[in-house]
Amino acid sequence: MFRWFKKKPPPPDPNAPAFWKAYLESMAATAYDKKTPIEEIGFVVFDTETTGLDVQEDQILSIGAVRVKNWQISVEDRLECYIHQEYYPDGKTVAVHGILPGEKRHSIAESEGVRRFLEFVGGDVLVAHHAAFDVAMLNAAIHAAGGGKLQNTVLDTGVLARRAARNPQLARPGTFGLDHLCDTYRIPQSDRHTAPGDAFITALLLLKLLHRLQKRGVDTLGALRSAPGMGL
Amino acid sequence: MENIIPRRIYDFLKAYPPFSLLPDDLLLKVSQRVLVQYYQPRQEIFHQGDQPGTHIFIVREGAVQLYRETESEAFLVEQCDEGDVFGIRPMLAEETYALTARAAEETLLYAINIEGFREVMEAHPQVAFYLASNYAAGVGQKYKTANPSQLFLDRSDRTTDNFALMEVQSLERSKLPVTCPPETTIQEAALIMSAEEVGSIIVVNPSGQPVGIMTDKDLRHKVATGKMELTASISDIMSSPVITMPPTVTVADVQMEMVKNRINHICLTEDGTTDSRVVGALSEHDLMVMQGNNPAILIREIRRCKAVEALRDIRDRAEQLLKKYIFQEVSIAFISTVMTEINDEIIVRCIELAEADLASEGQQHPGAKYCWLALGSEGRGEQLLRTDQDNALVFEDVPEDAYERTKNYYLDFAGRVTHLLNEVGFEYCPADMMASNPSWCLSLSEWKQQFSTWIHKPEPKAVMFCTIFFDFRPIHGDRSLSSALTTHIFEALDDQEIFLVYLGKNALQNPPPLTFFRNFVVESSGAHKDEFDIKARAMMPLADAARLLVLHARVGMINNTFRRFERLAELEPQNRELYEQAADAYEILMRYRALQGLKKQNSGRYFNPSDLTKMERINLRNCFRPIKELQSLLNTRFRLALLS
Repeated sequence: MFRWFKKKPPPPDPNAPAFWKAYLESMAATAYDKKTPIEEIGFVVFDTETTGLDVQEDQILSIGAVRVKNWQISVEDRLECYIHQEYYPDGKTVAVHGILPGEKRHSIAESEGVRRFLEFVGGDVLVAHHAAFDVAMLNAAIHAAGGGKLQNTVLDTGVLARRAARNPQLARPGTFGLDHLCDTYRIPQSDRHTAPGDAFITALLLLKLLHRLQKRGVDTLGALRSAPGMGL
Repeated sequence: MENIIPRRIYDFLKAYPPFSLLPDDLLLKVSQRVLVQYYQPRQEIFHQGDQPGTHIFIVREGAVQLYRETESEAFLVEQCDEGDVFGIRPMLAEETYALTARAAEETLLYAINIEGFREVMEAHPQVAFYLASNYAAGVGQKYKTANPSQLFLDRSDRTTDNFALMEVQSLERSKLPVTCPPETTIQEAALIMSAEEVGSIIVVNPSGQPVGIMTDKDLRHKVATGKMELTASISDIMSSPVITMPPTVTVADVQMEMVKNRINHICLTEDGTTDSRVVGALSEHDLMVMQGNNPAILIREIRRCKAVEALRDIRDRAEQLLKKYIFQEVSIAFISTVMTEINDEIIVRCIELAEADLASEGQQHPGAKYCWLALGSEGRGEQLLRTDQDNALVFEDVPEDAYERTKNYYLDFAGRVTHLLNEVGFEYCPADMMASNPSWCLSLSEWKQQFSTWIHKPEPKAVMFCTIFFDFRPIHGDRSLSSALTTHIFEALDDQEIFLVYLGKNALQNPPPLTFFRNFVVESSGAHKDEFDIKARAMMPLADAARLLVLHARVGMINNTFRRFERLAELEPQNRELYEQAADAYEILMRYRALQGLKKQNSGRYFNPSDLTKMERINLRNCFRPIKELQSLLNTRFRLALLS
């Protein structure tokens, strides 16, 4: 089957770590194409909490992800992991997510977090709010663990929300921020600023956006990915 | 922190029954297995006749409508909003869905897998009972054994119904003891306790002698906390030895013994020792009911009362007593017996005061006997709060030349009585249905004539009068006058059976609403209203149906609506279940009305749905079902459709 949207698979590297080989295999086994209807797409909606906003300097503290498939989220099918980071460039984000540097309780090494994330995601479509940042953070962490770049199709709920809005050009700044969208779509905002909490909220938002887009004929993966304003 | 997402589910579920009835750790486990499902407006969730699914549903956001579909139409049966549970048929019975569920707007559901939840139900029977009673009638009998009205508004033991109002000197009555052998498991014993609706169980040896006792408190402290397994033997947690007393003790003795031993339950044995057979059991609650706030003392004070102000004060105190009973969930049958007794004594005292006044003014008694009749809710013995007075007077037939003098005397007399009652707090009837109205202060022949006219010319107004006057009950005076009237009515009905059709038509005028939804009352038509009139929309339809059915069966002398249904259940075993549900529903409605009235210091008649908790809404809504079924029974039995 011709997968028009997939990046060309990288040349197999015999020295790549096992987790990365396994990821590439599940990527290759996933049979989504541009005609895949929304109902059949597995969306992995995720969020990361980081030490800051600098992709070069900052690091991931936690990853949360849930899968949306066929208009449903199974609470069992989720990822919640907390990463133990020794290095902590900037103390000011502590207040936001409440994870302190060196806090070891329930936390795992970054490479283990990456491995679990890739295993959870497989070849599904990644979805995040302002996804570019989270994807860049993850790519850096995967790279550090010996893997390559994420191969998955990525959708951005910020972009989808803009497409679902009636007159996006009239929108004020901030309209497509997660807080504002939660108000617009009546999504209760408890546990904001924890990765799993934000991933869950973003998943609810995705469901509502998909419905609105579907009503306008956006009902396949190809249509979801198409311009205007495709995320990545 | 882990489990952030299940915790969000948990935070929502714990606010709503039946999940609120589960212990935290179990609910968190349930939350971890939830499916969050999205439905578009009009999207179907399941279809009538579908095979049972694997999940039950709770509305997280949005609204779901349940329909019963026929070949040509779909009838809205229920509308669920946030926190409502639906689609529980797969859980209770291996049957197909009885209704079609459809999202009314954009909706998020939490779907809970029934695998695993079944075990939760076994371990927490209250969850099963909740689901069974939340569920439309006609489920398999599996979970229906428990009285559906019992769980939430725990009508206390029916055995207390028969306690006389006299001060209890000797405990002649006590509950039949609920017992089990020592090898019983804790769970088995708990199931017996909930089936028998008791707070304690006595462990007996094969010769029936008490060896221990387990109470609700033991279950709470030793089992619910996890200290003891459900499968453990009752002998492991029972208190032993049992404190016993002979059945001849007095209330005071029992109270002393309870205080001395710091216990809430006393076991009664043949000779008062643990070496004889168990014959009864008493809880602190039983004592409270027996003694009351002491209605006997209130009644004695009423009898001694010299002035109307003091009567008002006593009636205020009776209201305090009512409050206590209502909050302690004493049975409505008992409460209404006590309150009716008190109301009746007040009426009698007002009558005596009026008679004394007339005598002191030198008014000559006409000699003819009379009977004072209570009508409406007081006539039915259901008046808990003070509402408008409805009454009438019948006097003996007198020679024509004595008629005017007799009537004038009784009109004057009735005017004084109604005035005094008004002073006590029973306000004048705005429609003037009082004995002081010349139309309702009549001789026996005139009354007979009046009833015959109503029965033979059932105009709408006549039918309306009948719904009030047919519930007459003699309060004071010559009761043979009121029985003569009853006999006359039955005879008149024999010639004019069609009259019952008119009464039936009237009884169907006010169908109950469909349900509550958000802050509205939803009508069967789908219309939304802000206010719920519990009297007109739920209580009167039941009272009207009960009256019609007992008139049809020619059962006299039972005025109380739930007792009428109990009698009907005996007379028509084929409709027993419906009549029992109707009786339960009426008691629940009376309780809610009294609660509301006490809270708002009014008649308690009007509710704003936003004042009601989820549980209260469900309880009230469950009362609508038997009403609807009764109305359909009346429709068939009296062929009312023909008349419209």
